[in-house]
Amino acid sequence: MKRALLTVLTVLAMLPALAWAAPVRIGSKQFTESVILGELARLNAQQAGVDARHQRELGGTSILWSALQHGAIDAYPEYTGTLTHELLRDVAPDADIPALREKLKPLGIGITDTLGFSDTYAIGMQENRAAQLHISRISDLAMHPELRFGFSNEFMDRTDGWPGIRQRYGLAQTQVRGLDHTLSYRAVASGAVDAIDLYSTDAEIPYYHLRTLNDDRHYFPRYEAVFLYRLELEQSAPAFIAALRKLCGRIDVSSMQRMNAEVKLGGMKESDVAARFLSISLVGGDGGFWQRLWQRTAEHVTLVALSLGMAVLLGIPLGILSARWKRAGQLVIGVTGILQTVPSLAMFVFMIPLLGIGTWPAAAALFLYSLLPIVRNTHAGLIDIPLELRESAAALGLPGSVRLRRVELPMATRSILAGIKTAAVINVGTATLAALIGAGGYGQPILTGIRLDNIGLILEGAVPAAVLALLVQGLFEGVERWLTPRGLRLEARQ
Amino acid sequence: MFGADSARPIAFALERVSKRYGSVVALAEVSLSFAVGSTTALIGSSGAGKSTVLRLLLGLDWPDQGVVRTGGEILQRAHVLELRRRVGYVIQEGGLFPHLTVLGNLALLPRYMGWTTAQVHARAQELAELTHLSRDVLERYPAELSGGQRQRVALMRGLMLNPDALLLDEPLGALDPLVRHELQDELKRIFDQLGKTVIVVTHDLAEAAWFAERLVLFRDGKVLQDGRLVDFCERPADEFVTRFVKAQRYLPEASA
Repeated sequence: MKRALLTVLTVLAMLPALAWAAPVRIGSKQFTESVILGELARLNAQQAGVDARHQRELGGTSILWSALQHGAIDAYPEYTGTLTHELLRDVAPDADIPALREKLKPLGIGITDTLGFSDTYAIGMQENRAAQLHISRISDLAMHPELRFGFSNEFMDRTDGWPGIRQRYGLAQTQVRGLDHTLSYRAVASGAVDAIDLYSTDAEIPYYHLRTLNDDRHYFPRYEAVFLYRLELEQSAPAFIAALRKLCGRIDVSSMQRMNAEVKLGGMKESDVAARFLSISLVGGDGGFWQRLWQRTAEHVTLVALSLGMAVLLGIPLGILSARWKRAGQLVIGVTGILQTVPSLAMFVFMIPLLGIGTWPAAAALFLYSLLPIVRNTHAGLIDIPLELRESAAALGLPGSVRLRRVELPMATRSILAGIKTAAVINVGTATLAALIGAGGYGQPILTGIRLDNIGLILEGAVPAAVLALLVQGLFEGVERWLTPRGLRLEARQ
Repeated sequence: MFGADSARPIAFALERVSKRYGSVVALAEVSLSFAVGSTTALIGSSGAGKSTVLRLLLGLDWPDQGVVRTGGEILQRAHVLELRRRVGYVIQEGGLFPHLTVLGNLALLPRYMGWTTAQVHARAQELAELTHLSRDVLERYPAELSGGQRQRVALMRGLMLNPDALLLDEPLGALDPLVRHELQDELKRIFDQLGKTVIVVTHDLAEAAWFAERLVLFRDGKVLQDGRLVDFCERPADEFVTRFVKAQRYLPEASA
């Protein structure tokens, strides 16, 4: 009895602990340095006994910032320059960290001190080409308006990127193309472009023999690496914040360049690189190829099945409704059609404020995409039934619901199934983008592969995705054969 | 004339009914009544309004003006399902549901009404005998039937609940002459055998006269003449009736 009471008391005493025992969620952006910093934070926290998860390469700045503000993640690595130039308004371009801390406080967001390095933008050229043209400073570029630039898409758009620097240095180059950052090194190495934007910690700078041009007019702001976190963690997970603060000042530029090089050029895993830096040894690993494949397949199939299931449950009734009432039909098909035109990346980003990150928001986005083919085909299948057959059913004296169930829906089976099949195949493809908001699946190795320029990794995601699409197609063709009433197949043959 | 035959109760009646589809006048102030157990043929060119009569009697369409009566009561939307179950309806192509077998087509309404499978089977066998449909056809799909078989099945489907009346809209219109001739005989026999109220729509005067003693000729949404064939020939209501009667073509003398 006493023992039982003790147990109950112990459990009760542990309840508050359980209440905030949910793991701390760390996010990272879609480039190697951010992923390494995320891994450092995770391992460091785990070493301090805090349960932390790392949702890697969630996407660009806007996704991470939005996810942090809406509590979908608890912390992520950021740069002060991004805060002053992009994320915060009414802040001096050279604001220091204490000033930023004051600005972030009302948003419920905290900021650590600098991690020890600044990762600023820079412009780089091939060493021998720069030497040949006598270019060592950015202002030297003004004398060569014929040069071709290849800038990352983000750099092209940011006010502190190309538009700003062009103005500051009076650059007149007109051949400026947007490129993926990881591809731009190859472009400059092969001579396809003359200059690209760089991050000062990029591992490729020595590898490709690039010259970093001197920012002689001090245009680029400092991009001190920091962690942003939700302020409520100071109460709910003080141990995590303490661990995070211990990282501050410990990572200098050369360490960061070295870690970037180990991952991007040395092919090491981010977790191993981070563990080596923290001098801890990792136990186990993330399993073999088959285990990874199995896990991603499970994630991918879950996404497709969830979204498709919801779309079938809602889409068929909406299709029936549209077929019955013309006005409602035009509205429903119009709205689902517009949903279809929203770019998938934008759709995933829209879901973050509503549903956070992970499987559910991804499934919700895919669900919205699946609606149109299902609604449209249900509508078309019902509308295409010859009038005299619909009237024959009515003339028998069957009520509308029975007519729908026994005559109209069976006759529309083929069209409806074709709609579901289309939705499923589209979903298998689109779900590869769901990795951007932390839903995993086959998109994960594709993202990592693009980031690390590793074809093998890209194929590890792309091949199973293609196989799955074919399987889904085959499966639905079988289902179609099985579910289509024999009489309709005979009729079609005539 | 026939409409005024007060000896028998009235099964269906139109009272000053008008109906238009957009700008097309289908019926203009038509009054007609059909006695219980009578057989009537509605004739006329296509678009003359004869099919509209059947659609109004079944509540598939509603009059713009005037009333439709069934069994003396004014037809109301709330009672239209019960009415339809007491009336068999057969259309030109049969209107069979392609995803169901013959038996499935026949069973649709009875199963909804709560019949057992055994009852449905027994009734189907009975009607197969009546319509001279071979029993192995019951398991086939509409796509596997000949045109004549389809019309027999359509008739069976209309008769499953043993309705009071049969409305047939060009039931033999899509058949070749031999099958058509054979089915004209069969239908005539079945109408006589069952003694139900029958209204047949056809544009063929000879077929109409073969089925029914009473013919109703429509033109442009109006009843031009209502009577027996002999009246049409000897006392035509106007010039058009004579032209319609004379439009029948007879076989030329075979030249030896």
